[in-house]
Amino acid sequence: MWLHLNFNFGFNSSFVRKSLQKLPLTVAGLALIASLNTVNASQDGLGPKITLPENSEGKSCVLPSEQMRREHPDLLKHDRIQTLREGVRAKADDKALDGSLKQCVNCHAVKDESNKFVRIDNDQHFCVSCHKYAAVSIDCFQCHRDIPEGSGAFHALTNHKDVNYSNVVPGNYSLTVKDMANIAPEVNSDDN
Amino acid sequence: MTINIENKNNDETVNSLNKDAESSRRNFIFGSVAAAGLSVAPGMMLYQTANARSLSDFSLKEGASSKVRWGMLVDTTKDVDWNKCVDACNKEHGLGNEKNSRDDQKTQYIRVVDVKNKGTGYSMSLPVMCQHCESAPCVDVCPTGASMKRPDGIVLVDRHRCIGCRYCMMACPYKARSFVHEVLTDQTENTPRGKGCVESCNMCVNRIDNGQEPACVEASGGAIIFGDLNDSESPISKILSKHGGKQIRADLKLNPGVHYQGI
Ligand code: SF4
Ligand code: SF4
Repeated sequence: MWLHLNFNFGFNSSFVRKSLQKLPLTVAGLALIASLNTVNASQDGLGPKITLPENSEGKSCVLPSEQMRREHPDLLKHDRIQTLREGVRAKADDKALDGSLKQCVNCHAVKDESNKFVRIDNDQHFCVSCHKYAAVSIDCFQCHRDIPEGSGAFHALTNHKDVNYSNVVPGNYSLTVKDMANIAPEVNSDDN
Repeated sequence: MTINIENKNNDETVNSLNKDAESSRRNFIFGSVAAAGLSVAPGMMLYQTANARSLSDFSLKEGASSKVRWGMLVDTTKDVDWNKCVDACNKEHGLGNEKNSRDDQKTQYIRVVDVKNKGTGYSMSLPVMCQHCESAPCVDVCPTGASMKRPDGIVLVDRHRCIGCRYCMMACPYKARSFVHEVLTDQTENTPRGKGCVESCNMCVNRIDNGQEPACVEASGGAIIFGDLNDSESPISKILSKHGGKQIRADLKLNPGVHYQGI
């Protein structure tokens, strides 16, 4: 991840290091904020065309959108250390962790005209659509699966219980890890 | 490759047949044993309930705990087609999606090794996966901390840190590790894996954390038992203390978590 890389440039001056750390974040933050504001006005050709999950109007991700734009790399990095290295698979309240890439993918997967999930080589892929615009190249999907597999792993949705996620998980608003294992959205085999 | 298995009882050494190291490493010995002949021993329920206590007792939110040491016991005297375990493993982790690699470059987490005593002509097969060593050489040599051991004894590769130097592959005495040589697509959700990283059997950590047994254990029909070696009441510990078991190359004193019977 770029933030991570910036920590390792080997500069001794903490001032230089700090500025370096902040610089890309700020630039990217500005770019993202500028661009995401134009999502709805993408017809005018400004900003990336971002495809949000189906029926997602008025709903937010695990954190409010403004925070997600800036903080999603930190969320993912934090939780990857917890899950992989420490074996923590749930939050203190037994709900799923927020920063699990498979959960991101399961919600944010985009389908093309032929109703198939688009893969990471397609500009419509949710992550690609913005990363490309912001000139971020990041390796997550060299290893991670880029489209849903049908396991139905979603985040626990507890951060916004009032939000209606019934399109995703009918009738369930507070899921444990075990619940999620039992829920599989419909994925046709030729989607893969 | 050559695997020396020391038989402490009669001091006899069984040598692996495999001459061509690389190709034999990858070519599974296809089973001569008919699965239909598998008979379920009366004690089998013991194996199936093996993890009821241990798996549900440890919470997902607390993470891996050093109170547990996950291990496996492979009964090679059972009439089992070990290739079923290989297939189950490949399916679980989405292995075999390399398109351009040579056979000897393709990833394998578990393989069937054929061993023969040249003196007596006695031969047998056994499945060999990462042995989840307590003193794991692969972890010792890793320059980045990517090769790591969870507190519960599971050895795995943190691909976020792996730089692909393959030092761990050199260090592993069991030849348990593979390197991904090409860009992969269509990985499984639970086993991210890609070019430039070393990988090996992770004891199906995704399943264990989800309260399930490893895939090969499930496919073995009771010939592989999975459980907590630290819990003297767990079936695996009881069987080990009653009937004993052997670790491959126990002389290396790595204390693998995988034990065998009948070798
Ligand atoms: S068997 Fe090899 S890869 Fe597995 S823990 Fe031991 S040294 Fe590491
Ligand atoms: S424990 Fe899992 S990863 Fe290891 S050999 Fe068995 S099926 Fe493969």
